Amino acid sequence: MASDRSTEADFVRPVRRLLLGVLAVVLLAIFLVWRIDSPRIERFRAAVIDTVVPNMDWAMAPVTRVSRMFEDFRSYARIYEQNQELRRELQQMRAWREAALQLEQRNAQLLDIAQVRLDPQLTYVTGVVMADSGSPYRQSVLLNVGARDGIVDGWAVMDGLGLAGRIAGVGARSARVILLTDSNSRVPVMVQPSGQRALLSGDNSPAPAMQFIESPDGLRPGDRVVSASDGGVFPTGLLVGEVVQGSDGRLRVRLAADYERLDFLRVLRSRPAERIEDSGRLLRPLDETGLPLNPETGLPYGAEVATGQPGDAPVETPDASAGIANE
Amino acid sequence: MSDLWRLRTLGYLGLWLLIAATLILARLLPLPVPADAWPRPDLLLPLTLAWVLRRPSHLPALAIGLMFLAEDLFVMRPPGLWALIVLAGTEFLRRRQSAVREMHIALEWGMVSAVMLVMYLANRIGLAIVMTPREPLDLSLTRLIFTILIYPLVVLVLQSVIRVRKPATGEVDELGRKL
Repeated sequence: MASDRSTEADFVRPVRRLLLGVLAVVLLAIFLVWRIDSPRIERFRAAVIDTVVPNMDWAMAPVTRVSRMFEDFRSYARIYEQNQELRRELQQMRAWREAALQLEQRNAQLLDIAQVRLDPQLTYVTGVVMADSGSPYRQSVLLNVGARDGIVDGWAVMDGLGLAGRIAGVGARSARVILLTDSNSRVPVMVQPSGQRALLSGDNSPAPAMQFIESPDGLRPGDRVVSASDGGVFPTGLLVGEVVQGSDGRLRVRLAADYERLDFLRVLRSRPAERIEDSGRLLRPLDETGLPLNPETGLPYGAEVATGQPGDAPVETPDASAGIANE
Repeated sequence: MSDLWRLRTLGYLGLWLLIAATLILARLLPLPVPADAWPRPDLLLPLTLAWVLRRPSHLPALAIGLMFLAEDLFVMRPPGLWALIVLAGTEFLRRRQSAVREMHIALEWGMVSAVMLVMYLANRIGLAIVMTPREPLDLSLTRLIFTILIYPLVVLVLQSVIRVRKPATGEVDELGRKL
């Protein structure tokens, strides 16, 4: 036996050592090739995994099923907690709903007391959009109402929600509407919580930019933007949209009007606002010739002096007050 | 008699391959791992080292090299280096099998720990030489410590469940040679 073993060892051991060396060299070579040409070996790795792992589905399936059951069980165990949490939230929601209802009632009461009529002047003509300019931004559209229906250049145009543009060009039966996104459109607007005024200038992008803002720090994305009557172009208080910050950092306005579906548009009949030219007429009563009257006596100031009531004369001299009024 | 021995050896090899494949597969399973969990110990390495110390004839070097190469491929390690290092480590222990045979388990544990530490260092140095990104030091060290700590447990399972023991005095192999 012992001699048998030793004779075998004589040739087995060197062969084994040789094979071991070959194996080690192969492994080292794989590692070095991976380091030098990583993508090739990674492709090989991906191929091996692709062939082996899907075949393991039968092994994976029960394990994943068991683990999922375990997860389900844990979530069942938490069901009481979840229920309590939902109940608490429901309670809070009820409180909010109650508050909202109360506010709504209160608002209705206040409106009733104040006899508020919302913009009685703003009647409108509704027109159908016949055609648009065809550019991807729809900078202007054509309406099927025109001078025959009393449309006048410059009137504001809304869709159901917000300001869409203004009339620019009236034909007998059609009118052209310049949309707020057009690069020629400049509309005065007011930002609502802060009351700042700005100019909304279209630049062919879906969200027009705001220019000439007094202090941009006072604006926040999400603020409401309404139209302003500066320059007598538009009626006040029409919803335009909300402030957003564009990707270029400029403040822009996301328009409330749905520009994707401009089918029907309302043209608002706006009357020119009354202008107060002479402040004196409102401040003091005047006689027919334009001289200021004393509100207490109903007589011109000169007459008071003549009748000899100097104690009643105001601190300002009548000339001075008349001078102020005439300015 | 000799054929029976041969079959048993092959059967043990098959068993080792099966266990190794299962361990690799278990690492691939899409099980949720808690974010702050401890690193899991490597089970395949202590199992293989303990097995080689008990019955070197069960595990040919070729099988060990290929199996660890496959593990490298599956767990997204740089392929080849760890397989080469494991091959070297098992060969080192295989040569000292006769010495370990008389050792107490604690002494054997110390020796295997030293071998594992050297293997770990060699792996790190090898990766550093070719400037490959390495695992975080603290995590891989924790993992190595866990792997070393679990070695006696693996030996216990190997001896009691799989029944791979150190050869007793007078035991003979398939060709009737003394082990």
